Amino acid sequence: MTEEIIWNEVRKNIAEILPSVDVNGIKSNDRLVDLGANSVDRVEIVTLTLEGLNLTIPPHELAKANNLGDLVEILLKKASL
Amino acid sequence: MVQVGIEAMNVFGGSAYVDVMELAEYRKLDLQRFNNLMMKEKTVALPCEDPVTFAVNAAKPILDSLSEDERSKIELLITCTESGIDFGKSLSTYVHDYLKLSRNCRLFEIKQACYSGTAGLQMASGLVLSQLSPGAKALVISTDISRFLLIGDSDAMSMDWSFAEPSGGAGAVAMLISDNPRIFQIDRGASGYYTYEVMDTCRPVPDSEAGDADLSLMSYLDCCQNSFNHYQKRVEGADFLKTFDFLAFHTPFGGMVKGAHRTMLRRLHRMNPAAIEEDFERRVSDSLIFCQRVGNIMGGTLFLALASLIDKASIKEPKRVGCFSYGSGCASEFFSGVITSESQKELKQLNIEGHLNQRYKLSMKEYTQLLEGSSAVKFGTRSAVIDPEMLAAARSRGLDKCLFLKEINEFHRRYEWS
Repeated sequence: MTEEIIWNEVRKNIAEILPSVDVNGIKSNDRLVDLGANSVDRVEIVTLTLEGLNLTIPPHELAKANNLGDLVEILLKKASL
Repeated sequence: MVQVGIEAMNVFGGSAYVDVMELAEYRKLDLQRFNNLMMKEKTVALPCEDPVTFAVNAAKPILDSLSEDERSKIELLITCTESGIDFGKSLSTYVHDYLKLSRNCRLFEIKQACYSGTAGLQMASGLVLSQLSPGAKALVISTDISRFLLIGDSDAMSMDWSFAEPSGGAGAVAMLISDNPRIFQIDRGASGYYTYEVMDTCRPVPDSEAGDADLSLMSYLDCCQNSFNHYQKRVEGADFLKTFDFLAFHTPFGGMVKGAHRTMLRRLHRMNPAAIEEDFERRVSDSLIFCQRVGNIMGGTLFLALASLIDKASIKEPKRVGCFSYGSGCASEFFSGVITSESQKELKQLNIEGHLNQRYKLSMKEYTQLLEGSSAVKFGTRSAVIDPEMLAAARSRGLDKCLFLKEINEFHRRYEWS
């Protein structure tokens, strides 16, 4: 799995949950909260991404992500195991 | 075969509430968020209300409906709470006294965040199923208040308060557990558990909360799926879509339940959004009605949802309810039981909704005064006299006969009936 595939999945799910966000302008230091996602939105985006990539990661590991770049890094690391 | 479950059940949703939308406007928060929250009102504890008064006021109508002989069969009293008032003396001691229960009775308190009510229910069911004392009944009362909003400086204390404040309520649910489960007959042995250590939300200091809201929501979803997986291992052929006519979930706020339901159906049945919405309306929405008016009452919230469902749903023939309980920290359980039209008839006699309608509506000024003035009944208060004139109009809005905190004398709490 490449970083590109993970970013595409993340962008796709952000677009689904937050239709008003321009996903092409998203950068790795963006935080979901700054894009307008509330707690439920954030969890939904992460859950959808895990499902889309067929990954299982414990909640406490995911909670370490401070921005979207961190999230992608955690997902990539898990996918490479 | 001995049956087990809830023989009688009552909710006490307090004497006063605030309108959540007014609160959102007052706090100048994004109103769009509050539609996702799916909350309308939340009960606010008055200075003369504490976890003991909530517990007693929930249980009193049940006790009043029992004969002397039936009351004497209550051999176990469990209070389930994360709002304890003493590290050693459980609040069940006060509850036992004010409810005038038999002295030949066990009593203790259970703590495991919002899972505590389920823990109490299952332990009480074990007493009944063991048949070591045939005919014995247990009184299980979940009681919690959130009377605090101290926000510290550290990361752990900076929760997403825009969700926590409008959803944190106060209330109690009392359940009589016996071999005559007229309200909710538990499917014996049909339980799946899922438990692991996680630091999501907690009460590490008196009178406040700390935690990570995102982590808590993720743990909730993780546990919902995995406790149901375990349930499926125990119950052959169990299907999330077909086995249960209704679902009642722990409801920290309505939006969480909606998210969990959506995630489960998407994962397990690959359903599209329109079909998921239809299923939510049909099987889940009735369970949210009381929760949307009382707020998160922690250990009792699942049972507030169950009471709401039984009160509001269309129940012509017996219906199976799938129940999901989650308590931060964390412990979770997926279990099931059966409700009937008789359950509804019995529960409606207690007029839970009527009592919610009677509550006093607090203005934002009154609400903020309560938050600021709550120091009188902080954990560890040695002596205090509660001003009976404080919001006297609200005091009269509970039940006809209601217990209130009168004073604390050398840590000993004294109560009075209205």
